[in-house]
Amino acid sequence: MALISIDRERNLLTAEIQGLDKLWALKSRLEIPLAHVRGATHDPGIAREPKGIRVGGTHLPGVITAGRFRRHGERLFWDVKNPDKAVVIELADAETYDRLVVEVDDPRATVALIEQSIARR
Amino acid sequence: MDMGRPRAFDTDQVIGAAAALFAARGYEGTSVDDLVTATGIHRGSLYKVFGSKRSLHLAALRNHLDREIHPAAAAVAALTDPEQALTAAIASYDNGPAAGLLLLAAAERAPHDPEVAALVAEGITALEDALGPAYGDAAPRLASTVLGARLRLRALPTAPEGALTWP
Repeated sequence: MALISIDRERNLLTAEIQGLDKLWALKSRLEIPLAHVRGATHDPGIAREPKGIRVGGTHLPGVITAGRFRRHGERLFWDVKNPDKAVVIELADAETYDRLVVEVDDPRATVALIEQSIARR
Repeated sequence: MDMGRPRAFDTDQVIGAAAALFAARGYEGTSVDDLVTATGIHRGSLYKVFGSKRSLHLAALRNHLDREIHPAAAAVAALTDPEQALTAAIASYDNGPAAGLLLLAAAERAPHDPEVAALVAEGITALEDALGPAYGDAAPRLASTVLGARLRLRALPTAPEGALTWP
């Protein structure tokens, strides 16, 4: 589970990895400039697709996908236990990751928050 | 943008397939799984090219305006006979392979999304302008009549324009 928030002063999207997921993902926090956030989508189905190669972190199929993965030449960061609440955040090429796939408490609210933050730019 | 791999699909075709799906099932009713299946491209490519489901929907709406709404409006604008203009507008407005996309976006997304609201407004203004030559100052009222007629057509289980064809 990740807590997504928008820092409007610094124009950043921050993802705080919650609880033990920090250990599984080998990451506690990600900061992305809003200018590098291309969009957010609630996408439960993505968890059924192959994850690719685990670069760092944890992959217990059906239990947790957390950490850095590489698939089709793309770099993904995952933190998902419950696929129903998975949100995909697409990033610009300049970022370390092409895509974040994170579980959030309220996917609808998180998607709206991110999409509104980048639409107003 | 890409990583040296050529894009093996036609972006216009992807937008068209997505538009038809959004028009048939609505925005919320269309999942990324549905879009992946209907467009036949990888999920990663869908995100890479469009950024999000919302951006793809906006692209679909933009495409529908350019390919269907504006050409239909231009054809209606050429008619000065009120009866003919009204009949043509009811038959052709918000029609085509993604028939009803504008109406659905107006009802479902425009209240929550200013960018969708702006595109819907553009489509409705185009209809009002198109009815101008035949109806003058009464064009906005007739535009509402056309929108209402399109809604009633869509409500028919046997809508002839293919809006209900399951992909």
